[in-house]
Parts: sequence; structure tokens; C-alpha cells
Amino acid sequence: MSNRNLSRRDFLKLASAAILTASGLLGLGGLFRFLNTQTAPLPPDEFLLGPASNYPPGSRTLLPDIPALLLHAQSGFLAISLICPHLGCTVESKPEGFFCPCHGSRFDPQGTVTRGPANKPLRNLRVEVTSDNKLRLYTN
Amino acid sequence: MRRYFLLAVSFSLLLGLLVTAWQESRHPTPISQTPTLTGQVEYCLTCHAELEEISSSHPVNTFGCVLCHGGERLSLDANLAHSTMRGGKNPSDFTVVQDSCGGANCHSGISESNNDHIQRATTSIQATYAGAIANIRYTFGIRPDLKAGVGVFAVQVPRSTSGITELAAFDPTQETNPFIQIFSQNCLTCHLSALPLPGKEYFRFTGCSACHTPTQSAYLSDADQIQSNQIHKLTTVISYTQCDTCHNRGNYDLRTMTFEPRQDLSTDRLHDYYQPIAQFTSCEWMLDCIDCHTRTEAMGDGNLYSVKKDIQYIQCKTCHGTLTELPQIRTLTDPNDLAFRLALLNPVIDLKVGDTLLVTEKNEPLWNIRVLPGGTYELFGKADDQRYIFRPVKGSACLQDLTRQDSGSCHQCHSEER
Repeated sequence: MSNRNLSRRDFLKLASAAILTASGLLGLGGLFRFLNTQTAPLPPDEFLLGPASNYPPGSRTLLPDIPALLLHAQSGFLAISLICPHLGCTVESKPEGFFCPCHGSRFDPQGTVTRGPANKPLRNLRVEVTSDNKLRLYTN
Repeated sequence: MRRYFLLAVSFSLLLGLLVTAWQESRHPTPISQTPTLTGQVEYCLTCHAELEEISSSHPVNTFGCVLCHGGERLSLDANLAHSTMRGGKNPSDFTVVQDSCGGANCHSGISESNNDHIQRATTSIQATYAGAIANIRYTFGIRPDLKAGVGVFAVQVPRSTSGITELAAFDPTQETNPFIQIFSQNCLTCHLSALPLPGKEYFRFTGCSACHTPTQSAYLSDADQIQSNQIHKLTTVISYTQCDTCHNRGNYDLRTMTFEPRQDLSTDRLHDYYQPIAQFTSCEWMLDCIDCHTRTEAMGDGNLYSVKKDIQYIQCKTCHGTLTELPQIRTLTDPNDLAFRLALLNPVIDLKVGDTLLVTEKNEPLWNIRVLPGGTYELFGKADDQRYIFRPVKGSACLQDLTRQDSGSCHQCHSEER
């Protein structure tokens, strides 16, 4: 038999210390989790599209993630936003222009409104050719 | 004693932290979306990802949920998230519709743009119920005529061209005639703000959804869905069964001032669905109500009216003409013609510039009825998607009296045997 009997006082002291330690660890864990909360990222406003050579002259490339239509015209690269200026639906690209499936707005191939309810053209987006001949598109 | 106290406090602290951690662990991992129209993150799809798109005009990635429904967009606690929703499950209820569906680009625009839906619907006779109330108050001597003075809610339309610019709220407690008080208790069940009568055949929502959420189509195909009210759909495809949640659902008994509801929901539409004494031409029982009746007849034109006949004007001759006149037509030349927008919402017909449509006496496009080269017409059923061919009266052997153009006169020869 050991002589080291735990007195009631020591037991209470030990139990309190253990519980407080556990509480502290739990609280620290919560704080750590709170501080590490990942907020939803803002939508990107800049997109790298890869080598310009991927988009030959005359090409029309749908970029659904942006969403935009990239054109390689004689004057260079340009992009048309596929966000309808009426209420923000994604318009569909067709040979005769663009069509909004939500409310029926239509746009010609340059993005000009031909039928409402939209009353503004589709936005032109800036496309830049980088020094290493890659394309970068800006939505803002 | 102090030791016990310290232990109790420590234990309580640990217990509180454990409960908090447990509650946190029960929250689902949020599924976020950022609608393009609001640009604000919302977590509604965490629990509601299985809901179908409400309509092709309101895609969730554009509108999200909160713009129409309200609610706490970042809460993962169901009670808190739903605590500030507009109109409960129905944001189109007229008490909240302006906040939910309004806006100049949405449904409270100007009449010239044909998107003043809220203004028209909330002043329509189906919303105000002014006609029925006026009729009863006239019958019992409260008013000297049938001109409407009160509706189920107060409404003002200063620019109304009907001669009625405002309605006061109907207050049964101010009525002295006991029959009118009984009327208020028993007969105010069929306006657009009234809850439906008990029974699945009456089930509909209130406000815009009374007509535009197809509860009766759902009833016919999925009884469980309608019982749980889990119908997430807005449509302009409105079948006659939806209209019948209010119309043709029974009779008013003026002796007892009660509504005697029908209990059946027959599928034999001609023989036992409608009132036995009524007469119908094939148009009236084969087509859906919206195939002939226009948007302004159903939803109003923004003016206040006393009786249904002031706003409902379609007759047989609107489509069939008379012995001397063909029905009115319009060739589509403007890509912004209202007909294109209406056909987009319910694409039963492929309209093109150059097509010739029938139009009503008020120049409303009957966008589902196109003129064919041989002088006949094709009608596309807005709800049944069927194609019907019909002829004008002119040039036929019809014996109509030119001075009698109501449908009752046409029934004399053209009603179906029942």
C-alpha cells in the first residue's frame, strides 16, 4: 500500500486544475478556429487565359467561368461580358448575337441591344497581352 | 467551501464550452453562393440545394434566395435564418409582395413597359373583391347602386380611368345588417389574399402565387408534394385546374349567406365538372381559361372596377369575328412587341417578326393565335400545348344576329350536349 493518500483538499485542487486546463484548451481551440475561419473569397476580377497562340485570328472562344466571349478580331483581342445588363443572367452566345434566356433580351454580335428589356449593351472587357505573350482578361 | 465553489465554477465553464462545441459541430458545412444580382454571399443552399429552380426567369445563381424571400443570409441556424423571411413560404403574398417582387426592373415598373404587375394585380377585382362586396351591400340596401366603395383592403389609384379612384377597407364590424356580417364570415374566401378553403382541391397559395404557382397540377401528379406545401415554382402556364381552386368550386346560398363547396374533383370536364345548368361551346371546356382570357382580364389593367364584366371583355367574336367582320389582327414588325415577351415565358409557339396574330378589341395580342395563309387560324394551348385550327364566322353558314354578340347567343347553336 502506498502512503500517498490524496486528501480531499488536494483532490478538489487537482480536479479544478484539470477542468480549468481542459476549458482553457477548449477555449483556445475555439479561438484558433475562429481566427482561422476562411471567409468566402471575392469573385476574381482578373483571369489568365494562357498563351495568345491558343486563340487564332478569327476565333470566338466561350469562357464560361467568367462568363465572357473572347474574340480574336483583326484589330486584336477583345472580350464581351456575357452578363446581361438587365438583371444579371448569363446570356447565350449564338451566331446572330446574344440571347438572354431569363427575360428575352437580344443583342447583336457586337453586344448592342436589339430587343429589351435590357437597355444597355453588353460590357466590353479589357484583354491584355502580357510580355510573355499570354492573355490576361479584366472584368472590372 | 471555496474549493467546492471553484470546482463547480470550473465544471460549469467546461460544460458550457462542451455544449457550445457540440452545437457548433451540428451546423452543416456552409454551401455559399454569391448571386450576380446582389453580389452578397448567402448560405441558403446549405439546406435547400435540392429545391428546383423556381422559373427560367429567376435562376438562383442570378437572383439567389434572399432577394425575394428575405431571411438571414449568413445564418446556419434554421430558426434564425428563417426568422426574417417575407411572407413565410410565400413572398408573393400581397402584404409583402412589393418588397419581395417589386422594383422598377422587376414587377413594379411602369405600365408602358408592361411590368407594372404588382400595381395591376393588387388593384384587380380578384384582389379587392370589390364586386362581390358591392353586390351584397347593394342587395341589403347599404348602397344605392352597384358602384364599388370598399374592398378587402384599402387602395387608392388616383389616375384610375374607371371612375373609381379609391376603395376603403371593408370593415364588417361597422356593418349594421347581420347578413353582411355573416357574408364577411362565410364568403370572403375567394380573393387573392384569402387563405383557401380546407381540402386539397382548393389548395392554392395567396397573392401572385394563387395563380402562378401550380398547386393543382402538382395535386394531380403528386399529392404528397401539395400536402407538404413544398412547391417551388412560378409559371405563366396556368391550367384551368388552378383557376378552379376559386372558380367553379361551389355555390353561394344567399338564403343562408354561406358558400356550399363542391367536394368532387372530377376529371370528366364536360359532363360533371361544371355546374349542371351551364352551357359550353367546345372552346369553353376544351381550352384552358388563359387561352382566351388575357393578362389584363385576369390581373387587371391598373384601374379599380366594380364588377367582373367591366374588365372581362373577351367574347366569341374576338377570335371568330362576325358575319361581316374578321377578327382584328396585327403583323409583328417590332422585335419589342409584347407578344414576343409573352411567348418567351411560355414557348408553345415560335413567333417571328412577320407573323400575323389576332388581337383583342383593346389591341392586346392574342399571342398564341396566328393567322394561317388559307384564312384560318391556329391556336396553341398555353397549358396543354395542343394545336387547334379554327375558322372565322365570316363566309360561314352561321345564322348569328349581328346585334347579339354575347356568348349566350352563340350557345344557342354551338353548346355541347351534356
